[in-house]
Formats: sequence, C-alpha cells, structure tokens
Amino acid sequence: MIQRAAPLLAATVVALIVIAATPAPVSTRDGVYTAAQAADGARLYAAQCAMCHGRMLEGTFEIPGLGDRFIAQWSNAPLSNLHDYLGRAMPQFAPGSLSPGNNSKIIAFLLQANGLPGGSTALPADPAALSRVMVQPADPRLTAGAVPRTQ
Amino acid sequence: MAEFRQVEQAGVERRAMLKGTLGAAAMMGLQACAPAARTERPATMMAPGRKTALVPIRITRDQLIDVKCCIRPLRAAGPNLGSDVVGDTLVIHNYGHGGSGWSLSWGSADIAVGKALSVLPREIAVVGCGIIGLTSAVMAQRAGLKVTLYARESIQQTRSFRASGSFTPDSRVALTDPAGPAFGDVWERMARFSWKAFRTYLGLPGHPVEFNDSYQLSDTPITRRVWPADPAITQSFATSGRPRQNSEFGHYSDRIRDIVPQAQPLSDEENPFPVAHARRSSHMIFNFASYAHVMLGEFFERGGQFVMKDFYSPADYAALAEKVVINCTGYAARDLWQDKTVIPVRGQTGWLVPQPEAFYSVRYRNVSLTSKRDGIVVMNTNPDLGEMLGVGDSMELPNVADIEQGLEILSPLFSPPVVERS
Repeated sequence: MIQRAAPLLAATVVALIVIAATPAPVSTRDGVYTAAQAADGARLYAAQCAMCHGRMLEGTFEIPGLGDRFIAQWSNAPLSNLHDYLGRAMPQFAPGSLSPGNNSKIIAFLLQANGLPGGSTALPADPAALSRVMVQPADPRLTAGAVPRTQ
Repeated sequence: MAEFRQVEQAGVERRAMLKGTLGAAAMMGLQACAPAARTERPATMMAPGRKTALVPIRITRDQLIDVKCCIRPLRAAGPNLGSDVVGDTLVIHNYGHGGSGWSLSWGSADIAVGKALSVLPREIAVVGCGIIGLTSAVMAQRAGLKVTLYARESIQQTRSFRASGSFTPDSRVALTDPAGPAFGDVWERMARFSWKAFRTYLGLPGHPVEFNDSYQLSDTPITRRVWPADPAITQSFATSGRPRQNSEFGHYSDRIRDIVPQAQPLSDEENPFPVAHARRSSHMIFNFASYAHVMLGEFFERGGQFVMKDFYSPADYAALAEKVVINCTGYAARDLWQDKTVIPVRGQTGWLVPQPEAFYSVRYRNVSLTSKRDGIVVMNTNPDLGEMLGVGDSMELPNVADIEQGLEILSPLFSPPVVERS
C-alpha cells in the first residue's frame, strides 16, 4: 500500500513545487508593459494596422475597431490568445508576418490606448509567460457579466 | 423617363433611316411629333423585335456613395459540409462558399441542418451571422429547433453584405480536381434547393429577391468564354496550395440551365445600346437591406437569440451551452479552424445611388452595373484574368480608382444619343 502510494506522493510534491515556482497570474491592470514598448508599438501600429483599423483605433462599419469592444471580446482570457491570433492572422493582407517581439509591442500600444497602465516590466513575447497575463478592461466595474448580450 | 424615350425613339429613327427602312422611320417620325400617343403605349406591350426603351443609368462620379471590399472564401474542395467533435460538442461545418454564398445559402443550410437534426437535439448554436449563418439559423428554427446565434456582428456588417447580390451559384465555389466528381451532385442539390427557396421571396414587400434584365454588351460577337489549360503553367493548387490558372476552377452552372434563364441574343433592332452586340437575360438579384430585414425578422419572431461573441479557437465551441453547433464562419474559418484550403479571393463593389427608374443591369468590357433597390453595383473585373482575379489577395481595403475606371469604361453606353433634327 505504502509502495503504491509513494509515486503518487512524489507526484504531488513535484506538482506543489511547480505551482509554487509559477508566478501568480497577473491582470492587464497591473502594468504589464513598458512605455518604450508602447511607443514602439504605436509606430508599428501606424505602419501596419492603422490603414484598416484607423488612426484612432476606431475601425469602420466593416472593420472592427480596437477600443472598448475589442478589449471586452478578449477579456477574461490569457493575453497569449491575442498574441497568438495577431501572430497568425494579422495583418490580414500579410498574415504571419509579425515577429513575436513586434507583436508584443503592438499589444502594449493597444493596452495603453485602452487605458491600461504601463509598468517597469516589459511585456514578454513568450507564449507561456503571456498565458499568465489575463486580459481585463481598465474599468474594474466591467466584468464578465458586462459582455454585450442582445436580442 | 418620357424624355429619354423620346430621345431613344429619335435614335431608332436615325438608325432606321440609315438602314433605309423609310416606312418604319416615317411611323417613328409621326410618333415623335405626338408624344401623348406614344406614352399611351406601355413598354410591356412592345412587340418582340422592337427596341426596348431604357432609362439611361447615371454613372457620374457624384453618384458613387460607397466602395466595399471583401474576401471570398474559396475552398479548394468546395464548401466544408463535414463535421468535427470538439470535447462533447458536435460541430457541423457550413463555410467556404467562395463567391456563391448567397446563391447556395438555402441548399447548404438544408444539408447542415439535416446533419444537426440527425443527432436529435432540441436546441443548437449557430456561429457566424453572414448569409450562411443566418440562413442556417432560420432553417433550423423552421425544423423546430431553438437556436442561439453567436457572432461578432450582425449580417449588415459581415462580408456577406459586401457581395454584389446576384445569383451566381458557381462563382469561385470549388476547384475541379480537389472537389472531385461527386461535388457536382452536391452543388446541384444546393443550387436547385436555393433557387426554389429564393422564389418564395419574390413579390414580397421591399422586394428582397427579384429579377431584372441583364444586358451583356460587346463590340465583337459574343461567344462563350473558355479558358483552356495553359501547359506553360506547371504549378497548380496541388503543388502550391492555390490555383494558378482559370482552368482549375470548377463550373457547374450548366447543370441547372433548365431553370435559370439563359442569355438571348438581341437583334440590332432590339439592341438599345450604342454597341454592336448584345444579349439579354433575366437575372435574379438580392436586395441586401430588405432581405436581411426579412431574415432577421423571422429569426427573432421564432424566438431566436443573438449573442455577440468572438471565437478564438475550436475549444471555444465546446464551451457553449449548446452541444450541437453549426459553424458558419466563412473566411474566418481559415484561421479559426486552421483550414488552409480556404483561399482568399479579393473582390470589390462600388455603389451608386439607387435609380429604380433604371432597373436593369449591363456588362461591357469586364465592367458590370447591376441596378438594385439597395443601390447600383459597379464591378470592374479588369484586368481580364477571369476567376483568377484577386486569388490569394487578402487585402480588404477598397481601391476607389478601380471603380472610377469602371465608370469611365461604361460611360459611352449612356452618352446621350445623337438626335437628328429636321
């Protein structure tokens, strides 16, 4: 019995160590990018994104804007989802052409433009690290229940 | 209108005189002096062989009020009507209709909904609110299912609303080889079913579906365009992931020529345009504004619920409350479902102010005008690349200069005819 339980115990100990070593999830409200990244991101946005999504991220009738609704759509999910999507699908006329680093800079700019604060740590480009950053809107009153639902 | 008829009659007179048919010319001349008598004869009573009186379409730049661009989701093997299981959720696909989404919408929805019904659900989800999604949702409701439609936006903001609104059921719908010989039968079933479904909308208020006359015009004799395979082009979809020449595209429309009106040549006496050769056909068109209104009306009247939602990965489908989902995400499926056999084919339309008094369509030198209640659609399909135009191009920003060039190409058709004065 003890022999049988030993591997289970070992696995549990390992799991606990891994959990302890993994940084706790952070929110986009916690300052997950630097001002320098956002500034670079603004330049990249102007060159590669603004032609469709608009200089002020306003979008058009047909092309999604990148403001409140955009943040709402990506909220309560890890930032790695957005990074992954932009990396493989955007810009639409040349999907897959964004480098991971530039992708993170554009995201930094989008977070900044949506009122989410910067900080002292740069936004990583690594999917595992990004998966620990949860997207949340700037206004804490906006929760999952605020996802637009119409009939 | 009366004024143009008068001008047109004068044009006939000039042509008739040039041809030496003096008797006819004399009769026309009398009519020209008595406009009251002429207006008593409705256009519908004109005998075959007589020139049709048409109001010229105003195609000046000031009439251009919108240019829309969109990507057709050409799928090499034809629309994906297969299914996937994600977790505990059955996903039935209904996407990848190329330039034929509107035209095949009902038949395609019939197949997808049939598959959904086969697992006996009480409620289903539909993902995507383009013409395929909305039609699938309504079709499922008609079969008694409770339907929730999840989409990023309502149909008015989807790519479906950036189509041209004509019945074109085999426009970039499949590549012959990847689709295989069996696809023709599936296509025909979808096309015939859709044709009947659209007919149920004829004559409704707002004219969601109707027919108008379409004139194909040419300076040279009109022949059926064929694109034989060019042996110098060695690449193909099989070797490069996208078609390389027109001969790779599947054509199926001959299968339904028994019900779809075919073009008829017009004699010189019938041809109202200052162009040597003309053919006329009756063409089914969709009025987007009215059609969306009717469809959304039925969807909500039947208790449908619309949830604004974006999907990031197939796993999101399994998180839905409904365990049977019809996936109608069009071009977005290329990324969402990682279906790289969906090939972008860029197209764009210019929109002129509606001119219901000039309710007909023309095509001349690869530029078409389609007069509909929701606007006059301008398409400039130059350069003359056939179905290869726009293949592989996912740039979705409009190019207004292209539409302006199209209007210029058409302008000779609507210049005021010369009126001879005695």
